[in-house]
Amino acid sequence: MKTNSKKKILPLIIGAVILLALPFVAQMITGNDYWVLILCTMLIYVIAVSGLDILFGYSGQISLGHASFYVIAAYTTGLLNNYFNIPLFITIPCGAILAALLGAALAYPASRLKFHFLSLATVAFGEITYYFLYTSPGGFTNDYKGINIRSIPFLEGSYTKWYFWLLLWAIIFVVAKIFIVNSRTGRAFIAIRENTHAADGMGVNVQKYKILAFAISAFYVGFAGTMYAHLYKYISPETARQKQSVLFLTMMLFGGSGSIVGSMIGVVIIEILLELIRPLQEYQMLLYGILLLIVIIALPGGIVGGVRDVMADRAKRKLQKEGEGGAQNG
Amino acid sequence: MAVFKILLINGLVIGAIYGLIALGYSLVYRASGLMSFVQGDMVTIGAYLGITFYRVLGLPFAISFILTFACAFGIGMLLERGVIRVLLSRNVIPIYIVLATIAIQYIIQNTAQAFYGSVTQRFPAIFSKPTLTILGVTAQTEAYFCLLISVILMILLHFFMTKTKFGTAMRGSAMDAMAAESVGINTSLSTGVTWGLSAGIASLAGMLLGPMYGVYTTLGATIGRKGFAGAVVGGYGNMYGAMVGGLLLGLVETFISGYWSGTYKNMVAYIILLLFLLIKPTGIFNESAIQDV
Repeated sequence: MKTNSKKKILPLIIGAVILLALPFVAQMITGNDYWVLILCTMLIYVIAVSGLDILFGYSGQISLGHASFYVIAAYTTGLLNNYFNIPLFITIPCGAILAALLGAALAYPASRLKFHFLSLATVAFGEITYYFLYTSPGGFTNDYKGINIRSIPFLEGSYTKWYFWLLLWAIIFVVAKIFIVNSRTGRAFIAIRENTHAADGMGVNVQKYKILAFAISAFYVGFAGTMYAHLYKYISPETARQKQSVLFLTMMLFGGSGSIVGSMIGVVIIEILLELIRPLQEYQMLLYGILLLIVIIALPGGIVGGVRDVMADRAKRKLQKEGEGGAQNG
Repeated sequence: MAVFKILLINGLVIGAIYGLIALGYSLVYRASGLMSFVQGDMVTIGAYLGITFYRVLGLPFAISFILTFACAFGIGMLLERGVIRVLLSRNVIPIYIVLATIAIQYIIQNTAQAFYGSVTQRFPAIFSKPTLTILGVTAQTEAYFCLLISVILMILLHFFMTKTKFGTAMRGSAMDAMAAESVGINTSLSTGVTWGLSAGIASLAGMLLGPMYGVYTTLGATIGRKGFAGAVVGGYGNMYGAMVGGLLLGLVETFISGYWSGTYKNMVAYIILLLFLLIKPTGIFNESAIQDV
C-alpha cells in the first residue's frame, strides 16, 4: 500500500516541477514570451475543453455551439467593466454564471432532441449569438469590430504571471471535474450517456441532469472565455462561430472524451499542431481539415482511447499466454 | 405593391434554393440516418465547377450544367464510399461522422480558395437579356431561370422517387434496409446514389445562384445552414416538407429584410430554426424523426 502511494506521488511531483518550470524554459529557449502566451492559451482551453467533456464525454450530449458561451461570458465581463466600471472580480463570475444560465435555458427544451438535432439547435444558438453581437441593438457590443477589454490589473504586462494565475484556475477546474464525475451527479450523467431509457427507469431524472450537465459545461467554457478576453484584451463576434466550437470538440475528441487527462492531451497536441502549421497561412485551414479527417478515420477513440485499446489488447494477449501456459502445464 | 412583388420573387428564388438544399439533407437523413454538413459546400463546389466549365473553358451553359451535376454526383458518392461508409463500418460514435463532414467542409472551402483565391468571382450572365418582366414584375432573368429550374428539378425528383423502379428501391432501402435487401434491392448502391443525388442537386443550386450572388468560398456554408432550417421547418426527412420549408423560410426572411430591417435577416432564419426545434420539432409535415426520450 505504501509503495503504491509512493508510486503515485513521484510522477505528481515531477509533473508539478515541469508545470512550474515550463514558462521559464519556454522563455529561455525562444528568447521571447510568445510561447508563454501559447501556454496560457492552452490552460484556458484546458478549462473549456474539460467543461465540454463533462457534457459530451460524461453525459453524452453534443454541442456544436459552445463557442457562444465562451464569447457571451467574455462580452459580459468586458462590457460590464467597460461601461459601469464594475471590478473584475465581480464581472468575471457574472460572465460565467450568465453562460451557465443560458446553457440551462437552452438545454431545458433542447434536452428532448435527438443527437443530430441537438447539435443543430446548438449550431443555431451559436449563429444567433454571432449575429446578435455582430449587429446589436444600438451597437452596444461595438458590432463586428469587437471590443477592447482591460487586463486583470495585477497580471497586466506579464504572461508569466498570467501563466501561474491560469494554472491555478485550470487545476481548480480540473479537480472540480474529477469530483463532479465521481459524484452521484457524475454517475447520473454516465447512466444517461450509456442508456437514457434505462437511466430513466432507474429513477434518474433525465431532464434535470441533462440540463445540469449543460449548465456546468457552459460555466466552465464561460469562465475560460472571460479569461481569454482579459488575457488577449479583445474579443470579437467572430469567435462565437462554429469554427471555435469545432476546435474545442476536436481537442476533446483527439485527446479522448470521457477522460480527465484526455482533454488536456488533446489541447496540448492540437494547439502545438496549429502553431506549427501557422506559417503556411492560407493553407493552414486546408491542412487542418485534412489532419482532422485523418485523425477521425485513423484514431476514432482519441489518444486515450487508442492507448486504452493497446493496453486492453496487451492484457488480453497476456491472459491468453497465461492460459496457454496453464494448459500446457496441466 | 411593386415592392411586394419584387420581394415575393426574391423570396421565392432564395426559398427555392433553400428547398433544393433541404431536399438533399432529407434524402441523406432518410437513406443513412445521418446529418451531413457538406451539403452546403456542395453549393460552393457547384458554383466553382460552373465557373470552371462555363467561364474558363467556355462550354455552353447546358453542357456545363450537366457536367457540374455529374462531377458533384461523383463527389457525393465518393464521400459516402470513401469516408462515411468507412466510419460506419468501424461503429464509431455518431459525432465522428458529423465532425468528419465538418473536416471535409474545411477541405472544400480551402481548396476552392487555393484555386480561385478569396476574392468573389464573377459568374457570367446566362442570358443576353439582363432583366425580364413577367406579370408586371421586373427581375433579373437568372432569377426567373433559377425558379423555373428549381421547380423542374423538384418535379423530376418527385417522379424519379415515386414512379421509377430505382427511386422506389431508394425509398425502400431508406425505410428498412434489411427488408429491402431481402427483396433483392442493392441497398449499398441506393445509399450511394442518394448521397450523389443530394450532392448533385446542391451543386446545381450553386450554379443557379452564381450569376445572382457571385461566387465565394463561404457561399455554400451560410446557405447550407439555412437549408437545415428549411428542412426542419418542413419536417426533417420529408422530401416535400423540405421544399415547402425552404420556400417558406426564403419568403419570411426576404419579407422581414424588405419591410423591417436587413440587419436581422440572418438571425431570423436561425431563430425560426431554433423555435421549430424546440416547439415543433416534427415540422409542418409532422415528420416524427426528431424527438428523443
